[in-house]
Amino acid sequence: MATETDTETGTEVESGSASVFDYERREQLLKYGLYVVAGALLVFLWIPLAVMMFLSFAVNASTIFPFKGFTSAHYAATFADGALLTAVWHSVQIATLAAAVATVLGVLASFALARYDFPLKETYRTFGILPMVIPGVVLGIALLIYFRTLLPQLFGIVIVPGFWTVVLTHSVYGFPFVVLMVTARLYTFDESLEEAARDLGADPLTTFRDVTLPIVAPAIGAGFLFAWIRSFEDFIRVYFVKGTLNVLTTSMFSMIKYGTAPKMNAISSLIVFAIAVVLAVAMNVGNVTGMVAGTEGEGE
Amino acid sequence: MSTETSGRGEASTRERFVGAFNSRASKLGITALPGLTWLFLLLLAPLTFMIAVSFVSVDTLTYQIIWEPTLENYQGLFSGTGPFWETAFFQSLMLSYGIAAVTTVLCLVLAFPLAYLLARRSGRTFKIVIFLVLLPFFTMYLVRAYSWYLMFGPSGVLNRTLLKLGIVDGPIAAFNFGVPAIIVGLTHAYFPYMLLSLYASLDGLDFSLVEAARDLGASRVGALKDVILPLALPGIISGSLFVFVPSLGAFITPRFLGQGKVLMIGQLIEERITSLYAIGFGSAASMFIVLSIVVAFALAFRYVSIEELGGV
Repeated sequence: MATETDTETGTEVESGSASVFDYERREQLLKYGLYVVAGALLVFLWIPLAVMMFLSFAVNASTIFPFKGFTSAHYAATFADGALLTAVWHSVQIATLAAAVATVLGVLASFALARYDFPLKETYRTFGILPMVIPGVVLGIALLIYFRTLLPQLFGIVIVPGFWTVVLTHSVYGFPFVVLMVTARLYTFDESLEEAARDLGADPLTTFRDVTLPIVAPAIGAGFLFAWIRSFEDFIRVYFVKGTLNVLTTSMFSMIKYGTAPKMNAISSLIVFAIAVVLAVAMNVGNVTGMVAGTEGEGE
Repeated sequence: MSTETSGRGEASTRERFVGAFNSRASKLGITALPGLTWLFLLLLAPLTFMIAVSFVSVDTLTYQIIWEPTLENYQGLFSGTGPFWETAFFQSLMLSYGIAAVTTVLCLVLAFPLAYLLARRSGRTFKIVIFLVLLPFFTMYLVRAYSWYLMFGPSGVLNRTLLKLGIVDGPIAAFNFGVPAIIVGLTHAYFPYMLLSLYASLDGLDFSLVEAARDLGASRVGALKDVILPLALPGIISGSLFVFVPSLGAFITPRFLGQGKVLMIGQLIEERITSLYAIGFGSAASMFIVLSIVVAFALAFRYVSIEELGGV
């Protein structure tokens, strides 16, 4: 094997010329190198957001120089914008409804996938994950054509694009997030706990309520949260199926398009603050990293 | 429903409910069917219909569909004044592939060291770093695209700052809107997907294997190549998919960071659909995105299972 010769020559060189001191120094350098890369990445992730937050308090809201001083006027203007607040309210309503539907459907489907065997199970699983994978542009257009052309022309069903079409769209978009979280939890679930409850005389419903649900609940919560966030931050799917409705993202889109930076900076910064608080709480309550990374690590 | 107050009526509902779970068919019906119906009505039907629309023509005045199979839409994508590789669609498709590929590689290269570090460390620092990575990830996509929009441009923060500090005399072209700006924006947007996928696979990795390899005389590069990379492969593949696929169909980022200089495929489709309701063109063009994704996933499934893909 080619690799074997590679490593052999590698050791020869190392043991021949490098002393222990050199080895340690290199190890140190590598370690610091890794830290430097990690630090640079965090800077990369944070610099645009930090600049945006800074600008949300600056008199000149579009760029740092020339700097003209601090103000909270942009925040005041944002809170005084009724249309924007209505859009936020729509977003919250849609996200909550859609995530609730996605959670109910997703939890049921997760039990089917994790507990029972049925024909075409893998196909079902693949289809269940599809809404998450299909680019927003494609899903948005497919649903737009569906709502506007197929349903009226072929079936005579008229659903005017608006609030409910967005809820329907997001309920299907949020479905995979719930399924992934809950099935992951169900697979690591020790079913003998349920059997023990049954042996001790609990009926299936009691077993579900007292044993299964408490164990699966964090995953259901995480699934709901994910579906909620996905719906709240989605722009492209709403954009196609929204009709004349305005939600937060579509309002923001027109703000950027027509160059009203002050309010956009303020509302964006508020969102970052809000998410920071929620995330900090979530990370101290549950295993967020495990949930996000899909490794249902028990060690927390 | 509280069980303490279980009267006769409730007990029977309860029995009926429990009884419903006794047969295999009803178990499946209750659990799998609602989701299936939803997926069928709101995913399968629209997508199938979209495929159909890409093969039929649409009356341009009434938007009525003329149900006769035709390849008109596909021909329309590739026909213009010049040869097919000069058409707007082909150019935008290739540009999108290029941008998505570069973004994926960039994410991989940037995320690997950090994922490795996170997998090896734990405790308080780890928590803070994870928080700092996750916060931008959970922050709205639109907000992140916008924050880069502030940075770029002839009078954006980057150029203005450099000018102010006297480092440059005029705006730098690299910081103007265009392909580099889009790649930066997309890398920022999808980097966390890659990081978390990599972290998920590296976290489960037994690092004593690396030590063993080193003890047996493997060089650092050798251990990385022969031990870490093969074991991290599922994470690399799923991370790449979750960066490549959304980058390919990106819309907001090229819209704001390209400022009309760059037309990615997602934008091209959106433009035709919203301004002309050209659903034939849009459907046919979308098929190229769908097809690319199918191919990407088919390739990925040779190395990883669907559960492993579910990372993010």
